[in-house]
Amino acid sequence: MKRLFLSLCLVVLAAITVACSGAAADNPASAGPVDPNAPVITAQNMAFSPTTLDVTANKAFSLTLDNRDGAPHNVAIYTDSSASSSISVGEIVSSNKSTQQVPALKPGTYFFRCDVHHDMTGTINAK
Amino acid sequence: MALRSADRALSPVDVALRVAIVGLALSTGYIHSTLGGVLFTLNAIGYLVAAVAMVIPLPLAVRYRWVVRLGLMGYAATTIIGWAIQGPYYTTAYIAKAIEVVLITLLAIDFARMDGNPVTVIRNEVADLQAKFGRRSATNSSNA
Repeated sequence: MKRLFLSLCLVVLAAITVACSGAAADNPASAGPVDPNAPVITAQNMAFSPTTLDVTANKAFSLTLDNRDGAPHNVAIYTDSSASSSISVGEIVSSNKSTQQVPALKPGTYFFRCDVHHDMTGTINAK
Repeated sequence: MALRSADRALSPVDVALRVAIVGLALSTGYIHSTLGGVLFTLNAIGYLVAAVAMVIPLPLAVRYRWVVRLGLMGYAATTIIGWAIQGPYYTTAYIAKAIEVVLITLLAIDFARMDGNPVTVIRNEVADLQAKFGRRSATNSSNA
């Protein structure tokens, strides 16, 4: 009986410990290196800024997410707003920056969003 | 008729299970509260309310604790299914889902210990309701 009680207490303690460090699971050390010349998308107050980004077509580039929210965000680029075909999916970070490598994009319009909060969206124009 | 969960005293194992369930519900609720956005915040509030409903000593809550157990199991399962459909798939989410799987398991054990077979419980409740309404309509017709 005591053993069962102790086991359950351990399970709960472990869950609470892990839950409280849950946000820290996406720790700063795991974020990618920040390129100072990379275009920057800022996430603040659960919104991206800018929501439209112009990039050079047929040229790979680095894209930096500056997440100023405590909530976790990333930038995931898709071929269109159905978000069924991804081109570049950035790391999910909280209160931190991360840089992702985006492959060369053919001229056109691309959709990006936060994979955690699907209402945070924007457009990339490759010209 | 078998004793309802509301009619029998809690053993130390029952208490341990209840503490574990509340702890796990609060843990996954806390994780959801850190994610921001309306949906996650509502989800966190849902877990908080369910955790309170699991232990609050109000007669109505005690009487219908079985509904709370089933409801919380369904709620956690819905959360897992919702996540499986739309993600995101990253460390914190995996931790929250693992907690929810353990939560559902402990709720099932708690239900089996306290209430027995869910089908029987629901059947008994329906019979109780029918008896209550039958009595009420009989009283009304005798008063008329």
